[in-house]
Order: sequence, then C-alpha cells, then structure tokens
Amino acid sequence: MLVLRDLQNQYTKFRLGYLWSLLEPLGMSLVLWLVFSVLLGERALGLSPYLLFLSVAILPWWWFTKSVNASTKIFRRARGELAFSTLPPQIWVMRTVLSSAVEFVFSLPVIVLAIALTRDLPGIYIMFFPIAIILQFLLLYGVGLLVSSLSVVIPDLARVVKIVMRAMFYLSPILYSISNIPQSLHTIAAINPLVGILGLYRIGWWPEEHTSVVALVISLSVAAALFTLGIYTFRRLKPRLLKEA
Amino acid sequence: MSIIEFSNVSLTMPRTKRRQGSGRKHRLRRLAGETSRTMVPVFESVSFTINKGDSVAIVGGKPLLRTALIRLAAGTLIPDTGSVERSERVVPMIAIARAMGASFTIRQNAYLVGGLLGMSPAELAEKLSSIIEFADLGNYLDRHLRGAPTSSRQRLAWSIAMAVDADVYAIDQTLVVGELEFRQKCWSALDALRENGATFLVSSDGAKQYRRFCERGLYFEQGALIADTTVAQALALARKARREPRGD
Repeated sequence: MLVLRDLQNQYTKFRLGYLWSLLEPLGMSLVLWLVFSVLLGERALGLSPYLLFLSVAILPWWWFTKSVNASTKIFRRARGELAFSTLPPQIWVMRTVLSSAVEFVFSLPVIVLAIALTRDLPGIYIMFFPIAIILQFLLLYGVGLLVSSLSVVIPDLARVVKIVMRAMFYLSPILYSISNIPQSLHTIAAINPLVGILGLYRIGWWPEEHTSVVALVISLSVAAALFTLGIYTFRRLKPRLLKEA
Repeated sequence: MSIIEFSNVSLTMPRTKRRQGSGRKHRLRRLAGETSRTMVPVFESVSFTINKGDSVAIVGGKPLLRTALIRLAAGTLIPDTGSVERSERVVPMIAIARAMGASFTIRQNAYLVGGLLGMSPAELAEKLSSIIEFADLGNYLDRHLRGAPTSSRQRLAWSIAMAVDADVYAIDQTLVVGELEFRQKCWSALDALRENGATFLVSSDGAKQYRRFCERGLYFEQGALIADTTVAQALALARKARREPRGD
C-alpha cells in the first residue's frame, strides 16, 4: 500500500511520469559514455562495449544511492504515521527500499536498449543477475535500517551520507572495471560490498569481471555484516525512534 | 480481567526548544550548545491496570502526557523502564488525519490509514462501504481529499478507526472535533461499542461528554499517578489543582 502511494506520488507529479525512470539513467549513461569513451578516447577505462558496460552498473548504483539517501529521511517524514500505526516501524524502511527497487526494475529496459544498440548478448552467467538483485535488496534493507535509525539520533548524518555516497560512486567499479585496479588492491577493494554485487551484475557479459572467489566472499560477508549491524542498531534505537515520532 | 497493565512505567520524551532565528542561526546555536535537546520526564513509575469493559478517562497532566499514555497503551511508544502488557489489540486514535495525503482520493486515503492501523486490504474492501457511509462521504469517494470538505479528514479518520476490529480504543481528545451532528454520531457509535463490551481509554480535559461516558478516572500530576478513582472525583481534583497554583 505504502509502496503504491510512493510510486504514485512520484509519477503523477511530472508530465512524462514513468518515462523519467528510463530517461534519467539513460541520460546519465550517455553523458558518461560520451566523456569516458568518446572524449577520452584511447585511454580505455572499463570494458567494451562501454555503453552497455556502464548501464549495467549504473542502474543498480542509481537504486543504491536513491534508497540510501531516502533512508536518511524516512522517519522524519513518517512522524505522524508512526504515532498511531500499529505496524512495526521496519515497514517504513522496507517500503523505501521496495519502492526504489520497483523503480529500478522499471528502468531495466535501458539495459535492453543498450544490448540492442551494441548487439552484445549475455552469456550463461546472466543467471547471476537476479541473484545480484536479491543480494542488493538485502544489503539495502540492512543499510536502510542502520542509516534511518541513526539519522534520527544524529540529524547531521544525512549530509555525511551524501558525501559517502559520492565517494562510493568513485570507489566502486562503475565507471571502470575491477581489472583496472592493480591486482594487489583487489582484496582491499572487495571490502566494498558493492564490488561483489556489481560484479555479479556484469558477469553475464564479462566473465572476467569475477576472477577471484575470495574477493566475492569478502564482499558478500561485509554485506552480511552490514545487514546484521543494521538489524541490531535498529532494534536498539527503536524506543528512541518512536519517541521522536 | 486485565487488558492493559502498566507496571512501573517511566518515560522521558525529547523536547526541542523553540527555534530562534533562521535555519543557519539555529544550527550555529546548536553547535554552540545553546539550544540543546532536552529530555523531559513524562512519567515516573506509574502503575495501573485497565480491566475489560472499563472506560477510563485520563485527567490532568500536560497534553504531551496524555498522548504519550495513549501511545504507550497502544504500543506505539516503548517505555524507558517498566513494562506495558496488553492482551488485546488497542487502537490508538490520535492525530490519524495527519497521515493522509491531500493529493489522494478519499478511497486511497481510507486504504492507507486503514493499512497503517493494521487492517488488510481485503478487510478494508469489505468495510469500505460502511466506513464511507458513517463518514457521510459517499459523494466524494473518488475525489481528491483536497477537493472534499475540510471536515472530511477528521470524519474519515474517525470512521476508519472505529471500523478496526478491536476491543480496546484509546482516544485522544484532539481527535474529537468536527461539527456537532457528526460528534453526536460518534458518541452514539462509541456507546454502541461499549454496549458490546469494548474497553475505552479517553484523554480528557473535563468536557461534559467525558463525564457521561467514562466511569473511572486517572488523575495525573507532574508525571505521577495521584489518584485512580471515579471520573467525578478525578475532575474535582483537577479543578482544585487549577484553582490553587502549585506551591513551587
């Protein structure tokens, strides 16, 4: 119900409605593709075809930032609702993650378009794509619980999260491929849970994106740790959170 | 048989001092530690039980206290120490209308608020006609809330809250507004519920209707439960306290 309300709110506001969830990432991909592939030319970053390479990672990234940034505001917005609702407050986090997930799914045609343009069909490993979606969903739920409850106690967290997200954008293999990083740094890079998940998204087209299982395991266990940390923090801060409502 | 049991409940609530100056000034002040958030004690080891079929009025205390008590009873607030046990579903009827969106139709809002109160979509679909009938909003069902009469927010809120399948209703006074006719309709509906053995917890400032409606009164003063008596006596205590200002 709440998810529907969110979506409706978003799509009735603008004239193009649903189309925006296609156009926004598409525009972003095109701009980045222009800069990094056409303008910078030979100093190739990432793998080819670059347009497809970008859009496969940028859509999940979009989902990630939107969801995390929205998490900082969840309980400031839901004040009136929390006061009387008998539903568990986790629902609000779930709703935020879900509605951004729906938006992500809506924007998937961008990838289809990129496939059509580049005529590069994925291999058998595409089966990891849905798994990556599920993993990212769980990660976002955990991070959402963590961020949303903490930002009730620390109102300034929203700003910090914005900066961290900006840094994450460059620290994650979105514009570049994991193979652009020196081999020695791979394990350190794997601490970023997005490295593993984005790798899973890309593996269908570029099997070489995932060379080491160890890195994947590290990445995913960091994600799992974040998830449990989120649940734990949320449980601890729940009384406080309800008071602010 | 006890339905809600408060044992040694203590609670503090945050209260920010009123914002002074612009947003930037305010932030600077906060950095300088001038406008710190203060925690106000609301309850200090309060214990009481509410039995099945009771209608209890909460008398005295600040509005913050009364709303907090209702939220504690419904479980949308967790006490710092002590515990609140409840054996039945409690419907908190507080400022429900705040959650409604003006750009949604009456029907959507009904689903939204009903959902927040824990009703399933199927349950709501079944009850929607009776809710709308009670709120007398039949003509506006698919109109945006902002296009409907101003009073419809409150009416809708009441109607939905009363449609929830529960045995305990915790009503905050701020909800009891609207035109006379509708108010009377509400009270008679509440009377009917009481006949069926529902339990009530009403936050009150001492209006006549409460005196008629409730039997038991809990009188609070500065976060402590002073008296657990009849409504008339609790109201008398409140009047007395108002007349002679506190000794401090």
